[in-house]
Amino acid sequence: MILVGENINIISKTYGPAIRDRDAKPIQDLAVKQAEAGIDYLDINIGPARKHGEETMEWVVKTVHEVVDLPLSLDTTNANAIKAGLRVHKGKALVNSVSLQPERIEHLLPAVVEHGASMIGLLWGREGMPRDTDERATFAAELVMVAAEAGVPMEDIWIDPIATPVGVDINQVLSCVEAMSILQEITPGTRSIVGLSNVSNGVPNELRPYLNRTYLAMLMKHGLYSAIVDAFDDELVALAKGKMPEILELVHGMMDGEEPDLSKLSDKEREYAKTTRVLLGKELYSDSWLTN
Amino acid sequence: MGVEIPKTSYSGAIRQISFGSANKVTMGGANSFPFHVFEGEMPNPPRIAMEVYDHPPEDWPEAALAPFKDVVDDPVKWAGKCIEEYGAEIICLQLKGLDPNGKDDPVEDAVATASRVAEAVEVPLIVWGCGNDEKDAEALKAICEACEGRGLMVGPVTENNYSRVGAAAIAYQHVVAAMTPIDINLAKQLNILLGNLGVPDDRIVIDPNSAALGYGIEYTYSVMERIRMAALLQEDERLAFPIICNMAREVWKVKEVGIPQQEDPKLGDPEERGIMMEAMTASLLLNAGADLLIMRHPEAIKRTRKLISDMMG
Repeated sequence: MILVGENINIISKTYGPAIRDRDAKPIQDLAVKQAEAGIDYLDINIGPARKHGEETMEWVVKTVHEVVDLPLSLDTTNANAIKAGLRVHKGKALVNSVSLQPERIEHLLPAVVEHGASMIGLLWGREGMPRDTDERATFAAELVMVAAEAGVPMEDIWIDPIATPVGVDINQVLSCVEAMSILQEITPGTRSIVGLSNVSNGVPNELRPYLNRTYLAMLMKHGLYSAIVDAFDDELVALAKGKMPEILELVHGMMDGEEPDLSKLSDKEREYAKTTRVLLGKELYSDSWLTN
Repeated sequence: MGVEIPKTSYSGAIRQISFGSANKVTMGGANSFPFHVFEGEMPNPPRIAMEVYDHPPEDWPEAALAPFKDVVDDPVKWAGKCIEEYGAEIICLQLKGLDPNGKDDPVEDAVATASRVAEAVEVPLIVWGCGNDEKDAEALKAICEACEGRGLMVGPVTENNYSRVGAAAIAYQHVVAAMTPIDINLAKQLNILLGNLGVPDDRIVIDPNSAALGYGIEYTYSVMERIRMAALLQEDERLAFPIICNMAREVWKVKEVGIPQQEDPKLGDPEERGIMMEAMTASLLLNAGADLLIMRHPEAIKRTRKLISDMMG
């Protein structure tokens, strides 16, 4: 599986100021560390970047590429900043993201084609968040049609069915998994991606990795191609790279209706089993879900 | 040919909770959705507590004040009138005066008021703080101790003060109302924390933080509905507690309740309007799963009692 490291982000208290002050060292160190952790792409999230977006993206792309050769995911709501990043990017970049919002389509699709980049096809409709799996399917079909017409090859469209926080609406958490399971039928040949950490948004920091890892395992059942992740969660990286097959088997079995006897599982397996129950909507989330 | 009415089957049940001393009241126990008596049992009807305040209210619309005008200066007399004249089966003493941003009453005054009311009335008593976590922790702790043996319900207990109030409730055997801000996950978490602290399961009720009709009741309704679904259909035992709604104070501060008729004639008679808003709020909360309502206007209460008795069949 392809992993996109989420750690270069303007909202970080350390790296945000470094980006704003054009302080290359911390950003480059972070890029190298993510590469060493086994990450395949680096997300460059510069936020809305209403002011100086183009210069900022251009600077970060160049700065990171001085020390690592990894492709970058250009992540901002400022379309011009993405274009500026594409112009200086070495190799095949990932545009994060194109949704059905007309201004994204109009400004970004031609740039994706021009630079031969890949794009995240975010299933965000003209009126916002999809309400269920049907809307996700509709948005996917529509978005892929528009992108294909513009000349984007199928394998360069990475569909993101949108992971949402466990504490907001479990049906949306399930719908993202369900959408993943039907994606290849609806839009054959496309790839897929999720912003994994969204699932644990609002959860105490020390507990977030458990939810992220288990949700990744669940999405892997349906052939998830890539995920935007915390590069420094070693266990998550191991799981994604196929080094924990017994955990995948456990989680996937539970998705098929198996109810393992918790008392017979190892501590690690029990963690995943309890978390799977929460993410399948069988047990209502609370911060004590692992210990209760 | 007969028509078979589809029925939901339930795997969980709400716990029964009792409080009070000489007179006890029992709530909860249902093993089906509210008033779905064709699907399960609802051994106890939802209960109504009448509220009395520690100080004469300063911001109530005339319609709410009128029935209590002669007693508002004394919570004991006020409680007495609720019981004798309006048939209250539970009293809720609202200690609004504790609020540091309001009268900032010393804790001793609140304890004295609560003790006086607790001694004067025989019906079960709820003692409600001002909503300031710190002040409530001090006051409710002291009240739990002063009213040992009285079997109070105390609230609101929050994630910031649950250990202090919870410990006192365990020691002096009172029931706690666990309040969270209209959020099912936080509600479950606080109940888990209270359980870990050692509060017995038959001494916890859930306060989902009620809103009033016209002021966001949809959110309360939806969270209460989900709490009931988790408890009854998913056997979520940390949510299988009765639900209390401290609703009257929300109803009577809604803008439309307080507007005088001459300002907006189409809104109609303010007394009937306020009563209807309170009764409608009550009926919605009952349908969402409320086991205990804290209410104000005698006429709204009368109508709600009638509704409950009709719905119970």
